[in-house]
Amino acid sequence: MTRVISISPTIRHEGKSGLVLDVDEKGIVTRGDWVGLSPVRGIERFCTGKKMHQVPKIASRTCGICPVPHVLAGVGAMEASIGCEVPKDALLLRRIIHSASRLSVHALHAFMVLPDLYYPGTDTRINPYSPEPRARAIADRIQRIREIGQDCVQIAGGEAIHPGNPRVGGMYRNISPQAKTKLFDLAKEGNVLAHEHLDCMLALIRDFSRREWVEIGGARVPVPKNLGYHNQGYLATDPLYGTSSLEEHPSFDLARYAEVSPEHWYRGPGEVTYGDPTYPGGGTLPEGTAFDPAREMCPAVPIYDGQPVEVGAAARLRRFSNFDEKGTIGQLVARQMECIPAVTELEDCIDRLNPAGAVRAGTLPPGDGKPGWAANEAPRGTLVHITRVKDRKVRFFKMIVPTSWNMPTAGLALAGSPWQLAEFVIRGYDPCISCASH
Amino acid sequence: MGAELGKYKSCVSARSTDKEVLKYAQDGGIVTSLFGYALDTGIIDGAIVAANKEFYAKYPSKCIQDSSNLDMIEPWRPIPAIVNTKAELLAAAGTKYNISPNIALLKEATRSFGLDKIGIVGTPCQMQAVRKAQLYPVGMRDVGASIALAVGIFCMENFPYQSILQLVEDHAAMKLESVKKMEIGKGKFWVYGKRGQVVQLPLKVTHKYEQPGCHVCLDYVANLGDISTGSVGSPDGWSTIFVRSKIGEAVWAKAIADGVFETQPIEKVKPGLELVTKLANEKITKNKNTLEARKTFGVGKALRNPYI
Ligand code: SF4
Repeated sequence: MTRVISISPTIRHEGKSGLVLDVDEKGIVTRGDWVGLSPVRGIERFCTGKKMHQVPKIASRTCGICPVPHVLAGVGAMEASIGCEVPKDALLLRRIIHSASRLSVHALHAFMVLPDLYYPGTDTRINPYSPEPRARAIADRIQRIREIGQDCVQIAGGEAIHPGNPRVGGMYRNISPQAKTKLFDLAKEGNVLAHEHLDCMLALIRDFSRREWVEIGGARVPVPKNLGYHNQGYLATDPLYGTSSLEEHPSFDLARYAEVSPEHWYRGPGEVTYGDPTYPGGGTLPEGTAFDPAREMCPAVPIYDGQPVEVGAAARLRRFSNFDEKGTIGQLVARQMECIPAVTELEDCIDRLNPAGAVRAGTLPPGDGKPGWAANEAPRGTLVHITRVKDRKVRFFKMIVPTSWNMPTAGLALAGSPWQLAEFVIRGYDPCISCASH
Repeated sequence: MGAELGKYKSCVSARSTDKEVLKYAQDGGIVTSLFGYALDTGIIDGAIVAANKEFYAKYPSKCIQDSSNLDMIEPWRPIPAIVNTKAELLAAAGTKYNISPNIALLKEATRSFGLDKIGIVGTPCQMQAVRKAQLYPVGMRDVGASIALAVGIFCMENFPYQSILQLVEDHAAMKLESVKKMEIGKGKFWVYGKRGQVVQLPLKVTHKYEQPGCHVCLDYVANLGDISTGSVGSPDGWSTIFVRSKIGEAVWAKAIADGVFETQPIEKVKPGLELVTKLANEKITKNKNTLEARKTFGVGKALRNPYI
């Protein structure tokens, strides 16, 4: 007999979302709907008519974890629409803040999943807030990595959260030689820590993947080997940075993308038939609670070739580095693995940056309404901003956000897992619901 | 009143022992030498100062740079800049009697300039801004902890650029380009020309040109600086120094031990603290009255009082 369980709100990710799960008599999910509940702020709509310089700054406020991708996709889209090339050193500064932010965001996600993981070889869960030395060693390192990442964004981008330095046509200012040296020292320290962090996280994730069961709400829940598997395909435009319609052969095809309303992928109204008060954090929603995912879902659903796809670290490594591990474990591993190329790219770009180089394009064309888009490989996957700029004003603005791609995909990936692990599966996507809703 | 000079640990009259600095300096070369010393010894790794047009021509990347102020680069208009060497310090020395928004560079100093230990010089109101940013960092992430040495300069009032233009070019009948030095002292506004001309204007003439915001200012000797300095109280070529905070005390003691300054006890010099106290009292009393008047400025309506 099928029971319907709903976990809402879900925790340890950005924003607000809920899960509606059909569950068989063994507790295995037969259908999952992951519903984004962060209210729509309507950024695309209210940016229409505003100046091209303002819109990327507004778009940045979509999300404070990944403001860097939104700023960069924003200015990139404006530049693509007006047809403006940015100077080399400006691009290097952008790559510096991009890679530094990826490093710190991935490290933050490690913090989010630590409480799901166990000390290897034990049945003791990790509490990153605990004062005991084992926990402190892991958590302090993550904090230092995040500090380093944010300091780098702050120096090269003007601010760690909502960087002010990027502008249409390049950057407002280059950095001083003194700042370049400081960045280098930070990156070097980050490199060592990122390697230690990766070793540590891989050991924890591997240990988890070997476990037969995990303890949730006092019960032993079996861990399937194919946790989080799906057949939806993967999308990524670049291992590191992104692409845009300014390029001769962009690695993203706008023609294959479409956006549909949630009704196409989400279930209709119903009600919860089973509540489990022992589920951690106050239990699941009580029996009789009404839901309507297709209507409650705030984000629209982007599809590629007619289907939801997965984007993010695993998708990038799969497409560009022959990574073939699937499911939740694959996502966790891929994300932490990406810290290393991020920090390497960071060092490389700092090295190549000329602090005396120009960082602003000469004159900016006002734009004639031609469409332009830029994709940025945000920590959570492919982020695309599309725009049409005419006379320096934004006439059309659209954001396709990584978590929007991932939400329907992750819903499908829930099938086959014990319902108690559903939150762990969606956490594998490092969701950002504020980004998804925007 | 009694509190007009703020809290301080010691007060002396001092001047730099560096002849080159004294050549460029307004008074005793205190700010230039102190920052030079702090840079040499690693107390700071850069300082925010008020530079000028010539400095901007030489070191554009060290100045505030946004398209809004590029057409404001005129003679005797201060341009906030970040200096890292003695040569740059010397290039920026000297008082400019109009508004220099030094705090505008405070955050940027920790960003694209990459400073960890900032030195900053400014008027009393700018010292207040620094301290407020440290205690209430609104949009000032990581800035507070990076401030290593704040040097305040005495300030009776300031002028907008247009005022200085009018005072110098109309009242003193001198082209701004040909001015070597300006000074307010002994009850006069002095303008010294590069060709040796000296013009003095009675302060009475300057009053209507003051920036109105200065009329609610209750701080004369930079009460919130780590170290405060100014000309009043000491003989020509010397400065009066208040050493106020622990940081200020440590830096000052080291600088004295290293022979950066020569000092005389303030009690021994003329006109000494008596005049400083008198002027401080005058400023504070006058401006308190202005503040008071704002309470009943309208009919049944007040103007805002930022101190409450
Ligand atoms: S009088 Fe006060 S407000 Fe005016 S410049 Fe001087 S310190 Fe600032």
